Order: sequence, then structure tokens, then C-alpha cells
Amino acid sequence: MSTHDPDEALQRLLQRTLSEMPPRRAPATLELRVFSELQRRAALPWWRCSFMHWPAPARVAFLVICGALVATMFLGSGAAVAGLSSLLESGSPSLFWARQIGVLMVSAGNLMALLARTLPLTWLYQGIAVCAVLYAVLFGLGAAVYRTLYLHQPLNGK
Amino acid sequence: MSLNEHTPVHHSTTEPDRSTEFTTFMRAYQDMVFSTAARLSANDGHAEDIAQEVFLRAFQHFAQLRASPTAGGWLKTVTTNLTLNHLTRYRKRWRLFSDLRKTAADDESSSPEVDVSVPDTLLADLGAEQRRALIDEALRKLPQHQRVPLVLYHFEDMSYEEIAIKLHASLAKIKTDIRRARAALLPHLESGGIAADVL
Repeated sequence: MSTHDPDEALQRLLQRTLSEMPPRRAPATLELRVFSELQRRAALPWWRCSFMHWPAPARVAFLVICGALVATMFLGSGAAVAGLSSLLESGSPSLFWARQIGVLMVSAGNLMALLARTLPLTWLYQGIAVCAVLYAVLFGLGAAVYRTLYLHQPLNGK
Repeated sequence: MSLNEHTPVHHSTTEPDRSTEFTTFMRAYQDMVFSTAARLSANDGHAEDIAQEVFLRAFQHFAQLRASPTAGGWLKTVTTNLTLNHLTRYRKRWRLFSDLRKTAADDESSSPEVDVSVPDTLLADLGAEQRRALIDEALRKLPQHQRVPLVLYHFEDMSYEEIAIKLHASLAKIKTDIRRARAALLPHLESGGIAADVL
């Protein structure tokens, strides 16, 4: 029964046993799933396929447009900012909403700065600690739910 | 490799010849692809998803694969890589919670050396399909860090060094995991009840 080196004997035995094993039979649904997915992909319009499957003219046009957009952003961003600033300063009534948003953001920033200056540092640390604990608890609950409901579910009726 | 005897799938396509060829191709390899994914992942549902993805990729490269003598190897490599990616992506985040106890139990210092009485044959009096089912079930019960290198070694014929590179682990750890997996497999096979007389 036993040989000189049990590890080696076990290795040889398993190698012999496992190499003789027939492959598992693929589920009957696999073929159907593959061809259904191929049909679904074939039915997609070209612009919803990956870029490499686009027609060559569309790919060229897309690259040209992207290049033009990037160039426009670089060249025109400075001018656009200057133009917007002058418009806001001119007090045009049509840009009232933009001014309000700007004021709101500045106020929010000021509030945050004020809180950072006035709140004790320990409160800040305690707040961070509470957030970390809540994150860990939620992560743990998620893991427990995953292991309970998903990981141990029966596999294809087995 | 034996062909499956499933009902043919009828599908509309602009390239009927190519589809027929691909159907034949798929039937020739789908058992091998599914087996590889199922033994590595220990989850039939995930294995079917992986097998589907493998054949979708094969379809994209079918012009090269259709006449290639290494198509089987290509499929096996893609299947192995996709399954390992899948295991890494979906299991790593849960390792903290799921493997703590196992990791401690499997610690080098706390685990005894393998000392098993090795029979000359295993499950010799079983039919091939019975033996396959029993071994697959035993593999499924192994922890992932033992099952994956064991399957790569014994089913995919990879060397210890190749497995270590593939799994980004040290050679010593791979050898230890495989040795323990082999030792762990025997009791599972014995617990099947049928191997007891053989062992």
C-alpha cells in the first residue's frame, strides 16, 4: 500500500486518477446562450458596438471631431472665461441665475472654512472615527448577507 | 474529444457557413471549456458565464481559430485566465470575512505535515461518470487557495513554477497548498463511502 515517499505516491495516484477523468458535460443552455448573445450583438447598431467595429469613415470622423474639440477647448477656454466674466460683471438680468449659483457656492465655501476654524479638532477626529465604524459595519453586513444569501445558494440544483 | 449531442441551434445570420462551422467548433470544445471553468471556480453558474464569454471571444477570432491546431490550447488558456480573473475580482473582497478561520487553520506553524496512507488505486471499482462526480464534489469542497493550484497542476498540466507565476504566489506556498490539497482530497473521497474499501 504505502510507498517510501507518501507525498510522491499520492501525487502519482491523483495524477493518474484525475487525468483519467472525463470532462464535465457543458449545460445544454450554453450553446443557446452563446448564439443568443451573438445575435444580440449582431443586431446592435454600429455606434453601440466597440470602437474597433465601427466603419472606417466613422472612426476617422470620430477622431477628427475629438481632436477638434480638444483643440477648441484649449484655444477657446481662455476667451470663454474672459467673456463670461465680463458678462457677469455687466449685470445682465438674463444671467441672474448664474450669479446666484456663484454666490451660493462662495457662501458654502465660507461656511466650511468657518466650521474648520471653529470646531475642536477632537470633534473632527470623532466624526471621522464614526464614519469609519459605520463603513466597517455596513461592509460587514454586506459580507454577511452575501455569504448567507448568495455564496451558499444551491448551484444549479446541486 | 467527444461531441455533445445537444439539439442543434437554428439561428438567422448573414454567414450561415461560418455559423455552422462555429457550432461544430463549439460542440467540440464546450465540455472542456466548461469543465476547466467549473473545476477552477467550483460554481456551475459562474462556469457557464465564463464559458459563454470564452466562446464569444472565440467567435471574434474564429477566422484564425477555425483551422488552428492549437485552438484547444487557446481556449483552455483563455478559460483559465478568465476564471482566475473572475475569482480574483469576486472573491478577494470577501476574503477578510470568509477565510479568516481557514487561513488561521492553514497557517504553516499550526498545520501538521501530510502523513497519509496512500493506496495503489483510487475508486477503481467505480464507473467513469461516478468517479468524475465524486472527485468533482470533493474538489468543490476544497478551499479556493488549495483547489485552484491543484486543478492547474493536475488538470491543466502546469508546473509548480508556472502556477506560482500565474497566481502571483511564492513557489513554496504553491507546493504547500497543492500538497495539502492532495491530502485534503483523500478524506473527501473516503467520505463518499465508496472509496473506503479501496483505501
